Amino acid sequence: MATTLYSVSDAISSLLLGAVGSIFPEPVHGWLTSTDVVTGLAVLIFCAILLVASMINTIMLIWFERKLLGRFMDRRGAMHVGYAGLLQNFADGLKLFRKNTFMPREADRLGYFTGPTAYMVTSMILFGILPVSSGWNGGSLPLSLLLALAVFSFAPLFIFVSAWSSNNKYSLLGGMRSAAQMIAYEVPILLAVVAVVILAGSFDLNTIVLEQQNYWFWGPLVVALFVFFVGMLAEMERIPFDLPEAEAELVEGWNTEYGGMLFAFFMLADYVRALIGSLLVVLLFLGGWTMPSYVPTALTSFPLAGIFWFMLKTYAVFAIFVWIRASLPRVRTDQLLRIGWMRMIPLALLSIVLAGLVVLARCLPVFGCVPTLGG
Amino acid sequence: MAASKPEKRPEERPTGLVWKPLTTAARQFAKSFVRPSTILYPYERLEDPKFREKVAVESGRPIGVGEIWDNYRGVHALNIATCISCNLCAFSCPDLCIDMVTVPGGDPKHPKKCPQIDYGKCSYCGFCSDACPEGCLTMTTHYELSTPKRSEMVYSPQRLFENYQHKLPMNPIRLARPANEDAILLDAPLCIGCNACARDCPTNCITMLDVAKPTAKPGEKLPRRIWKEPVVNDSDCVRCGTCISVCPKECLFWGTHK
Repeated sequence: MATTLYSVSDAISSLLLGAVGSIFPEPVHGWLTSTDVVTGLAVLIFCAILLVASMINTIMLIWFERKLLGRFMDRRGAMHVGYAGLLQNFADGLKLFRKNTFMPREADRLGYFTGPTAYMVTSMILFGILPVSSGWNGGSLPLSLLLALAVFSFAPLFIFVSAWSSNNKYSLLGGMRSAAQMIAYEVPILLAVVAVVILAGSFDLNTIVLEQQNYWFWGPLVVALFVFFVGMLAEMERIPFDLPEAEAELVEGWNTEYGGMLFAFFMLADYVRALIGSLLVVLLFLGGWTMPSYVPTALTSFPLAGIFWFMLKTYAVFAIFVWIRASLPRVRTDQLLRIGWMRMIPLALLSIVLAGLVVLARCLPVFGCVPTLGG
Repeated sequence: MAASKPEKRPEERPTGLVWKPLTTAARQFAKSFVRPSTILYPYERLEDPKFREKVAVESGRPIGVGEIWDNYRGVHALNIATCISCNLCAFSCPDLCIDMVTVPGGDPKHPKKCPQIDYGKCSYCGFCSDACPEGCLTMTTHYELSTPKRSEMVYSPQRLFENYQHKLPMNPIRLARPANEDAILLDAPLCIGCNACARDCPTNCITMLDVAKPTAKPGEKLPRRIWKEPVVNDSDCVRCGTCISVCPKECLFWGTHK
C-alpha cells in the first residue's frame, strides 16, 4: 500500500495515543487505543497537516508574488527579513495578528465578523477537496470537481455580506461589483470545465488527472484553457479583473473597513483562492502530478515527486497570473461583462465542440479505441 | 498596405491593449535579472566608487552620483581645541538639539563643555555655526548619516571632532558674525561681587575690580557684600550671555554704551 497522507497521520495518531495510553490504567488505555479514537485523532492530524501545509504554501505564494512583481517593476521586492525576504510575510502576518480588532460603530456585528471568517473557511475547504498527488489526497469523491467549483464560487456571497455589514459606501460598492462580476465569469468557467469533463469522462479530479497520463488536456483544449484561465482571473478578483477592490476608485473595495486579523483573513483567503485557482488550472489542463512519458523516470520517481511537480506547475501558473497583474490595466464592469458574455462564452462553446471532436477522433479505427465516452 | 487602413483606436486593437503590455513587462522582467534598479541602501551606497563601478560592469551603463553644492549644510565638524564652551551654539539652536556636554581637558573646577548634536532633531539651519564666535563649529557637505539606531544619531563632541580631523569637505560659506553693538552692562547697586560672571566667562574677559567701600553713616547699615564689581572687556567679549544667565542678582543686562 502506498504511503498516503492519511496513513501517515494514522500512524502518528496511533503512536501518540499508544504513548499517552500507556500512562493510564486499563479501561482508559483500551478506550484510547480503540480504532474509533485513533481514527478520529488521525482525521484531526490529517486536517492539521493539510492546514499547515496550505497556509505555508499560501504565505510563500505571497512572497513569490511580491518578488515577481518587484522584478517586473525593476525592483527587488522584500529583501530584509529572512533570506531574500522569505520571512517577511510571516512577520507581516504576526503584526496583523497582534493588531486590535475593531468594528465601525454603525456596522452590523454578525455580518461584519462572519463575512471574513466564512470567506476564509470556504476557501480553505478546497484544500481538502483538491488532490495534490496520489498520496496527498483528501478522498475520492465522484463529483469532486463540481463540489470544488461550487465551494469556490461561494466567495462573492460572503464578500457581499461583509461589504454590506461594514456600512460603508465603498465597501458596499465593492461588494455589489463582486456580485455583478460573478455573472460574467461563472458561465464561461463552467462551460470550459464541461469540455474537460467530456474529454475525461468523469467529474472526479483523480480520474481527470489519471486520464491525462497520455496527453495533457491543454493540447486539445487550448481554447478551454484560455477561457478557464481568464475566468479564474476574474474569480480570484485579480488584476485586470479586480473591480471589487479597485484601490484607485473604492479605497480598498469591500475590505475598506477591515483591519488587523480580519483584514489578514481577507488577504490570506485571496491568496488561498489564487493558489486554488492555479491548482485547478494544473489539475484540469496541465496533468496534475503526472509528467509526460518522455521525462526521464529518475525525475518522476523520487519520493514526493508528484507533489514536487505539481507545486512546480502551480507556481508556474501563478507566475503567469502575476505577469498579467504586472502588465494589464483594470477593465470596467461593462468591459468585463462584454468579455465574459461576448468573447468567452462562444469560445467555451467552441471548446466543447472541440472536446466532442477529440472524443470522436479517439474512436477512429486508426487509434484503435472503442467508442466510449471518456475513452 | 497596413498604412492604407485607417488607424484603429487602441481599445479596438486587442494586441495594443493586451499583447504589448505583456511583452513590455516580460522584457522588463528579463532585464531585471541582470540587475534591478533597487539599491540596497544601507549596504550599497552610491557614494561608494567600488559600488558604482560594479553596477557599471553588471548593467553596462554607468550610474552617477549627484554633486553636492559647495554651500550644502551637512553634518557638523567641531574643533574641540579652539572651542571656548561659550554655549552660543546651543542658545541659537531653534530645534534644541545641541547639548553642552563635558569633555576631558578642562580644569576640574571649570569643566570644558562642547556641543553634542542630536541629528534626529537637527534641521541643518546652520545657526549654530553662524553663532560660533571662534569658528570652531562648522558645517561640512557630508550627508551620509543614516543608521539603524536612533541613539547613533546623537553625535558626541568627540565624534564631531573626528569629522574635523578627517577633513570632510567643508561648507565654505559661513556668515561673518555681525558686529554686535550690544554690550554687557551692570546695574551696580544690585551687584554683590560674587564673581560668578567672571568665573563662568568663556573668554575670561570679565575682571573683578575693587570698588571703594563707602563709609557708613550713623544709623545706616551697609549691605553685606564683596566690594568688587565686574568690568567687561568688550573687545574680547563674544556676547555669549553666560554672565547674564549665571548672575544670581540679575544685575547684568544687555545694553549699549552711551
